[in-house]
Amino acid sequence: MNIRTVRLRDLDPILLLAALGLVAIGTLLIYSGSLNRFGPPTAFDFSHPVVRQATFAAVGLVLALLIARLDYRSLGFLSASLYVTSIAALVFVLVVGEETYGSRRWILVGDTPVQPSEIAKLVVIIILAKYLADRQETIGTLRVFLTSLALAALPTALVLAEPDLGSAVIFAAIWLGMVTVAGANWRHLLGLLTTAVASTPFAFVALQGYQRERIALWLDPESDPLGAGFNILQAKISIGAGGIFGTGLTEGTQTQLDYLRTETTDYVFSVLGEELGFIGAMVLFALFIVLLWRGLRVAELSSDLFGRLLATGMVIFILLQTFINVGVNIGLLPVTGIPLPFVSQGGSSLITLFIGLGILQSVLLRHRRLSFRTFYEP
Amino acid sequence: MQLPSGNRRRWRARSRKQPPEEIFQQRFLLLKALIVLLFGVLALQLWRMQVIEHDAYQARAEFNRLRIVPDLAARGLIYDRNGQQLVYNVPIFSAAVIPADVPDEQLAIVVAELSRITGVSAQEIDEGISAGRESNNPFSPVVVKPNLDEETAFLLRERLPELPGVQVLVESIRYYPSGALTSSLLGYVGRIDSDEYATLQGDGYQLNDRLGKTGVELIYESMLRGTPGYRQVEFNVVGREIRTIRSAPPRPASNLVLALDLNLQRRVEAILQEAMGDSLNAVAVVMDVHTGEVLAMVSLPGYDNNFLTDPVDAEAYSRLLNDPAKPLVNHAIAEIYPPGSTFKEVTGTAALQEGVATTSTRITSRGYITVPSEYNPGQVYIYRDWAALGTLDFYGGLARSSDVYYYYLSGGYFQNGQQVFRGLGAKRLAAYAREYGLGVPTGIDLPGEAAGLVPDPAWKEETIHEPWTLGDTYNFGIGQGYLALTPLQLLRVTAAVANGGDVLVPHVVREIVDEDGNIIQRVEPGVANRLSISDRNLAIMREALRQAADYGTAQSGASAFVTIAGKTGTAQFGQVLPNGDQETHGWYTGFAPFANPQIAVVVFLEKGKGGGDAGPVASQIFDYYFWRQLLAEVDGSP
Repeated sequence: MNIRTVRLRDLDPILLLAALGLVAIGTLLIYSGSLNRFGPPTAFDFSHPVVRQATFAAVGLVLALLIARLDYRSLGFLSASLYVTSIAALVFVLVVGEETYGSRRWILVGDTPVQPSEIAKLVVIIILAKYLADRQETIGTLRVFLTSLALAALPTALVLAEPDLGSAVIFAAIWLGMVTVAGANWRHLLGLLTTAVASTPFAFVALQGYQRERIALWLDPESDPLGAGFNILQAKISIGAGGIFGTGLTEGTQTQLDYLRTETTDYVFSVLGEELGFIGAMVLFALFIVLLWRGLRVAELSSDLFGRLLATGMVIFILLQTFINVGVNIGLLPVTGIPLPFVSQGGSSLITLFIGLGILQSVLLRHRRLSFRTFYEP
Repeated sequence: MQLPSGNRRRWRARSRKQPPEEIFQQRFLLLKALIVLLFGVLALQLWRMQVIEHDAYQARAEFNRLRIVPDLAARGLIYDRNGQQLVYNVPIFSAAVIPADVPDEQLAIVVAELSRITGVSAQEIDEGISAGRESNNPFSPVVVKPNLDEETAFLLRERLPELPGVQVLVESIRYYPSGALTSSLLGYVGRIDSDEYATLQGDGYQLNDRLGKTGVELIYESMLRGTPGYRQVEFNVVGREIRTIRSAPPRPASNLVLALDLNLQRRVEAILQEAMGDSLNAVAVVMDVHTGEVLAMVSLPGYDNNFLTDPVDAEAYSRLLNDPAKPLVNHAIAEIYPPGSTFKEVTGTAALQEGVATTSTRITSRGYITVPSEYNPGQVYIYRDWAALGTLDFYGGLARSSDVYYYYLSGGYFQNGQQVFRGLGAKRLAAYAREYGLGVPTGIDLPGEAAGLVPDPAWKEETIHEPWTLGDTYNFGIGQGYLALTPLQLLRVTAAVANGGDVLVPHVVREIVDEDGNIIQRVEPGVANRLSISDRNLAIMREALRQAADYGTAQSGASAFVTIAGKTGTAQFGQVLPNGDQETHGWYTGFAPFANPQIAVVVFLEKGKGGGDAGPVASQIFDYYFWRQLLAEVDGSP
C-alpha cells in the first residue's frame, strides 16, 4: 500500500474545521474560566490552562494528520494489543490512580495527568469495529452478540469500579450503537434491553452511596443548596442568568466570582451559557451537529464495514459525551464527570478525540482511493 | 419469492456478507434522527432556562454576589453636664464565619483550623455553622469567639486566604469608665436577641447587631445609633469582598449631654454607701427644682455595666440576676414603697387649699386617738402618734410631724358620734395626690418606671373587696397603708412645693449634640401638671418644712452652708415583729436654698429611720452641693 498516493487535499476540511472551531470556543472559555486563578496566559507558560489546551490541540492536530496518512486497516491488526494495553491501564489506574472527588481516574505521567478511560473509549471503538467487521456473516448469532458485549463490558466494569458512571454509560452506548449498525439480531437487543430495564431497581440498590445521593440531588438540588447541591444549582443559575446574548466573555459574575466550580472542565458549558448566552450555545450545537454529520458521512462513504463501524463508534462517542455533559450542566441529568468533547480542558480527552478524527479522515481517504483502484486494478 | 431449499442457505450467507446499502442508510438515518433529537432536547431546555426563566436565574445570580452590608456610624458618646466623658467606643476583634461561604468539602478543615487558632471546641463551631446555614440568613456572620486578643486576631488574619468563609470582624463595644456609678442611668449595650431582631429587622438591624438594652442607651437608641448607611458589595464565592458597587454613608450618630453631675453623683454614692447599713437597697436623687434635670441618681447596690455590655460575662450576669437586692433594678424609679410622713407635704397642702386647716388650726396630740369600730361599737381602734406632742398649730404639726394632727386633717375627728373636726376624706386626698403626679409614671427618660399606687374607696372595693374605713383614711393621711410611690415621685412632690406648683417631668438627658458639640436639640423642662394649690398655701408648706429642718424632726437634714426645708419619713412595712416593732423604711426629702430653691433631694433607705438615718445623708448632699457652690463663687470673684 502506497502512502504517497494519499493526498492531503482529499481530507474533509469541514470535519476538521468544525473540530477546530469547537477547540477555539473551548480555549476562550478556559481563558475566561481560569482568569481568576491564573491571570492572562503568557506564551510558553505550560502551567497555564489556556497554553496547555492550545498545545494539546496542536499536538492532537498533528497526530490527526499523521494518522490520516496511515491506513486505518492496520488498526485492525493492532486492535487486540491496544485492547489488552488499555485494559491493563484501567486496572493500573484502580491500583495507583490519583484520587480526586472520591474516585480514581487519573495517573500521572510525568506532570501530566492521564485519564486512561478516555483512550480506552477509542480502543473499544476499534476492537468492536474489528471484531464485528470480521464476523459480518455471524453477527446475528448469540455468540458473536455476547462476545462483543463482553469486549465492551470488561472496560465498563473497570471504569464503574473507579467509580465513573458516566464513562460506563458511554461504553455501553458505543457498543449498542455499533452492534445496531453492524446488524445485530433485534431479538437479542430486545432481550438485553428487557433484562436491563427489569434489573434497574437492583442496579439502583447496587449503586454506591454517592451515586444515589447524586441522583437525589439531581432531582432536587435545593435540598442542600450550600452543600452537595451547590454545583448543580450554581451551574443552572449561571446558564439561566446568561439569557439570550450572555454577559460577554469574562463578564459573567458566576464564573468570575468562582460560584462555578470545575469551570474549565466538567462545567465549561456553564461558562458558555453565562457569558455567551443562548446564541453562543446554538453556535456550539451547530458546530457539533456539523461535526457529527460529517462523521456519519464518513460512515456512509466507507467502502468496508470496519471503516463504517469505526466512524459510527466515533459519532456515537462524541454525541453521547456532548449530550451527557451538557445535560448535567443544565440539570437534565444527574452529575457525572464527563468532559465536553473538544471544549473541556483536558489533554487525554483532546488527544483521544483528535486521534479519532485522524482515523475518520483515514477512512475517508481510503474510500476514495479504493474506489479508484477497484476500477483500474481488477 | 419461493426459492429452492438447496439454494436458500447460500443466498442467506451471501446476503449477510454484503447487507444491502439501503439497510445501512436506514441505520444512519436513525443515528441522524438521534442527533437531532438529543440536541433538540438540549436546545429546548436551554430555551426554557435562558429565555423563559431568565429573570429568575438572573435574580439568583445577583443574590449570590451582591449583598448589602450595613455601614454603621460610630455609636454616639455620652457626657455629663460638665463635659466628662461617660462612655468610650472600644474596638474588639471577633472570629466569625459566614456559614454560606464555607464550601462543604472544606468545612472540616475550616472548623479544625478555627478551633486550633481560637481554642473554641470544634463541635461548638460546627454547631454554630450548621445553625447559621439552616437560618433564613446564612450570609449573616456567626461569631465563633468574641474579643480575640491581638496576637490571635493577627494570626487568624494571616490565615484568612486558606479559610474560606472566615472573617475577623472588627466590632465596637462600649466601655463605661465610671462602671457601677452611672450604670443605673446609662444602662448598657448588648447583642440583639431574637425577639428584638424580629421587631427591628425592618429598621435595618442585623442578626449580629448591638443595641441599647436599658437606661439612656435604650431610650436614646435611635440617636446614639445614627442612621446606618449601607454598601452594596460584590462578594466572591468564599465571601471575600471584590468591590463596592454603590454605597450610602451613614449619618453620624448624635452625642448626649446628660444633666448628670458626675462629681456630685460620685459624692452622693459615697455618702449613701456609708449610710446604707444593712439596708437591702438605698436611693438618693438630686433634681433641679425648676427644670426637672436629674443631677444625681444613685440606686444601691449598683452593677458594673461593663460586665453586661457584649460580650457578656455570663457568670457576673447570673450573679446579678440572683442577688436578692436586685442590683439590675433602678430602685429610684422602678420600685414602690410607702412614703410615710414625707407624704404630709401632700396632705398638708391639700388641707390648706380645701380650707380644712389654716395656719392657726390647733390640734392636741395626746399620743394617740381612738376610733370606735364602725361595725362593732364595743371595739375601739387606737391610732398612735410617735409621741404625745401637745397642742400644735399647722407649722408645729408638720415640723414635729404629728400623726394625730394629720389624722385630723385627713379623716377628721368624731367624738361620741359627733364630728368635731372635718377632714379631707379619702377621695379629696387621693385627688390631690394625683395632682402631685402620684399613681402615674413621672415620664423620666429611663425605661422601667413604676406607676405607684394612690388608693381610694373605689379602688379598695374593686381590688380588695372590702369597704374603705376611717382608719384607711388616717393611714393614707400619714403616708402609710396602701399608698406606694417611687423615690423619684416623692422627689417631684417636693420640687413642686419648692417651685411654686409645677409638677415636673424629670429628665436625665439635657442636650443632644452633634459630633462637633453643636446643640441639635435641648431637652426643654416639661411640666406634667400645674397644681391647683395657691402660692400662699405652698409658701406656708415651705415655711413649715423650713421649721421642720430648723427645730423639728427634720433637723438631721440641715446643712451648714444653706438654709434648707425638709421632711422625714419613717414608713412601717412588712410583718410586725414579736416585740410589737415593725421594720421601717427611712425617708428624707427636702429642698434648698429655702429662700430661692435650686435643688430638691430625696433619700431612701430600705431599712432605717427618716431622722436618724436618711436625714444625715441629705444633709451631706446639701453640704457638698452648696459648699462647692460657695467655693466656685469665691473662685469666680475678683
